[in-house]
Amino acid sequence: MKPNSRVGILGYGAYVPIFRLPTTEVARVWRGEGAGPNKEKAVAHHDEDTFTMACEMARRAVRMAGVKELGAVLVGTESKPYVVKPTSTMLAQALGQHFTLAADLEFACKAGTEAMQFNIALVSSGMIRAGLAVGVDTAQGRPGDELEYTAASGGAAFVIGPATDALATFEASTSYVSDTGDFWRRPGEKFPSHLGRFTGEPAYFHHIESCVRAHLKETGHTPSDYTWAVFHQPNPRFPLEVGAKLGFKPEQLEPGLLNMSIGNTYAGSSLIGLASTLDVAEPGDRILMASFGSGAGSDAFTIEVTDRIVERRKLGVPVKDMIERSVKVDYALYVRFRGKLQD
Amino acid sequence: MSRAYVASVGMTQVGEHWRKSLLDLMVEASLQAMNACPSIVPDRVIVGNMFSGAGSNQEQLGAYLASQLNLVGVPAYKVEGACGSGGAAVHNGYLSVKADESEAVLVCGVEKMKDLDVGRATAALAMADSAEYTQFVGATFISLNALTHAMYVKKHGVAKEEMAGFPVLGHRNAASARHSMFKRPITVEDVIRSPIISDPIRLMDSSPICDGAAALLIVNERKAKELGDVMVEVAASEVAANLFTIYERPDPLDYVATRAAAGRALAKAGVKIGQVDFIEVHDAFSVTAALALESMGVSGPGQAPKDVTKGRFNLDGELPINTFGGLKGRGHPVGATGVYQVAEAYLQVSGKAERNQVKGAKVGMTHNMGGVDTTTSVHILRREG
Amino acid sequence: MTLINPISYWRLKDRYFNLLGTKCTKCGAEWFPPARVCRKCGCQDLVDHEMPHTGRLLAHTVLKEPSEEFRSSAPYVVGLIELDNGQRLLAQVVDVDPTGLQDDTRVRLTIRKLAEDTKRGTIFYGYKFTPLP
Repeated sequence: MKPNSRVGILGYGAYVPIFRLPTTEVARVWRGEGAGPNKEKAVAHHDEDTFTMACEMARRAVRMAGVKELGAVLVGTESKPYVVKPTSTMLAQALGQHFTLAADLEFACKAGTEAMQFNIALVSSGMIRAGLAVGVDTAQGRPGDELEYTAASGGAAFVIGPATDALATFEASTSYVSDTGDFWRRPGEKFPSHLGRFTGEPAYFHHIESCVRAHLKETGHTPSDYTWAVFHQPNPRFPLEVGAKLGFKPEQLEPGLLNMSIGNTYAGSSLIGLASTLDVAEPGDRILMASFGSGAGSDAFTIEVTDRIVERRKLGVPVKDMIERSVKVDYALYVRFRGKLQD
Repeated sequence: MSRAYVASVGMTQVGEHWRKSLLDLMVEASLQAMNACPSIVPDRVIVGNMFSGAGSNQEQLGAYLASQLNLVGVPAYKVEGACGSGGAAVHNGYLSVKADESEAVLVCGVEKMKDLDVGRATAALAMADSAEYTQFVGATFISLNALTHAMYVKKHGVAKEEMAGFPVLGHRNAASARHSMFKRPITVEDVIRSPIISDPIRLMDSSPICDGAAALLIVNERKAKELGDVMVEVAASEVAANLFTIYERPDPLDYVATRAAAGRALAKAGVKIGQVDFIEVHDAFSVTAALALESMGVSGPGQAPKDVTKGRFNLDGELPINTFGGLKGRGHPVGATGVYQVAEAYLQVSGKAERNQVKGAKVGMTHNMGGVDTTTSVHILRREG
Repeated sequence: MTLINPISYWRLKDRYFNLLGTKCTKCGAEWFPPARVCRKCGCQDLVDHEMPHTGRLLAHTVLKEPSEEFRSSAPYVVGLIELDNGQRLLAQVVDVDPTGLQDDTRVRLTIRKLAEDTKRGTIFYGYKFTPLP
């Protein structure tokens, strides 16, 4: 998909809560020993949720972008504080925006990149000048399930606007979906369910590979044309595997790989990987980002970094700093913070 | 314009009254006061109370009490000023007599706190401060005083052993008082080892949650003379309001309302602070006693804890305070406290204080605060002759 | 007992999300909580005005016995904060180790959950403060 007029990223901001749960703790409680595929995951405090974290990342993005008005506030998440009542209107209020298109999007871990897709369309059509895309989650794993190692809290926000003001621009984007029920949650259920190893090849790999191959064909690029590649990261291994299958080298993925230290922030995962990559990217770099959302689908983007990034990103907070600012908790505190105890 | 006198008093025990309701307490204290002067029929009923609504689902306490006392047709209403409700109620009774609009006013302060669990009682007490900017952010009433205590200690370098002098004195005096809640003396060690509630305030720095009611008959000169008993005049009754919250005040450690009310009261009564024989000061927390005494000019800045530790405020000291235990030792059924204080001052100056008698007491002062010095009243009682 | 009536809360959103106070149109003095009559010059014509989101910690206490609505949050730190324009307020201080917390620490606003009216009712969000950066 190529918009008629070129748009890009005016500003971005990420947020990771300070608490970390070592996966050795999860393993200690449920298996007596061992660890998960990642070292630690980020855990929101009991007074944090998707909305409060969205405020932090959105305010950072808006500060970097230097915009006063947002024509759209789109929040992608699967952990809304209210099932019915938009998180996006709460965020819009906190950002002082009223004449804006506010909506919540759900598509598991790709809801954030969807918010980005819609913003690209709204801006390039001339309907709005700038809009906000947020991918954020306080992901919950069923206690004792393997997803509990990685289901984490955090995300990133992006202000999309005209290319003439952007620190990075979008060349094109692609979307690919199929009805593949690898991971889901029915109404009234507190925790999601999934089909184990089925979430691998038929879900994650098939959708990302299908989407990216089509995207590369449409844009005429090859993996070596890209400086960096960011993939959705449900665990530390999958992005490296899918990168390799597609022809990308591990060095291209390196700045975006965060799962080992913060886990999987679901709708925030690809976006926070992109933010982390933009923190180190140079003008002229080309970035591929491909998300994956269960249910299932993938969004792929080609992004080109401009000269403006050097000065603009000084107004932000590097993802690396957020990751380093960490306080360990044990399983008991984690259970209290994430409300897993019955009252 | 008449002068106003306290003719008699009534007080329930302060404590945990599981078997007595709000109404039971009010009636008990009121009848004690009324039965001491059977020839006097009150022509006005004023009830001081803070949270009968939140705590007992009951408002309109004036008529509620008057009705039980078979006083139909008299003016009857509730006066509220948080933990200063009692003082404000006494003030209102005083004004009615001074204005010649009443000859005999029944003033009753009451609070029923123990029916609420600690969390709900804390929430009810927090209503003394801003709902939108104090209660909403999770600050409790104790935390406001804890912040004050922390700032006070930082400014003056006060040792915690010295601050502990206030609760120790309170318990010592309460031990011999008939109506007090606590009968057991405590030590400085007990205080500084007690659990922290809101750092740096400890359990034993804090007045207790409890139930109680106190009542007074305030009468005009003619009625007082008819009784033929010792005449105790309400020589002054002053109330002052401060800026509502501690964060709106230029100096949170300056008890502006206490200073204003005390200054006016002393001037009205024609008395200097050095001529007062005792003070019932509002020691909801150790720090409030210290700041109140300093704001009144009794102690120099940062000196009140040193003074209490040296024994200056003991019952047999230079200037006795909280002669029946104060809020800490006698107890603090919040809306009733201001009336307890005036009742205790009456017992002192009329020579009826029994084992807690301050020798030769003739002029006494009471100091009652709603919130953190937000609605403060000061009364001066003086024995005639 | 719920922390605040949901309609009251709706009226206060911008106060709680963006420290919207008032500013005197005559002398320019800024007020939070919002003043309706200027305390400096007595003018009755004040307009809404956003306060700075940063300040310093003047005093703090670790609160262990909360009101019932905050029971699940204890213990937490309550701070007296002076914003960069001199106006003061109370707020919880988060993401800190209370034992190491010093007065005069520079702090900034962050939006957090304060309480919820059971699992069924309104979620109450508002300002808390966290050390800079």
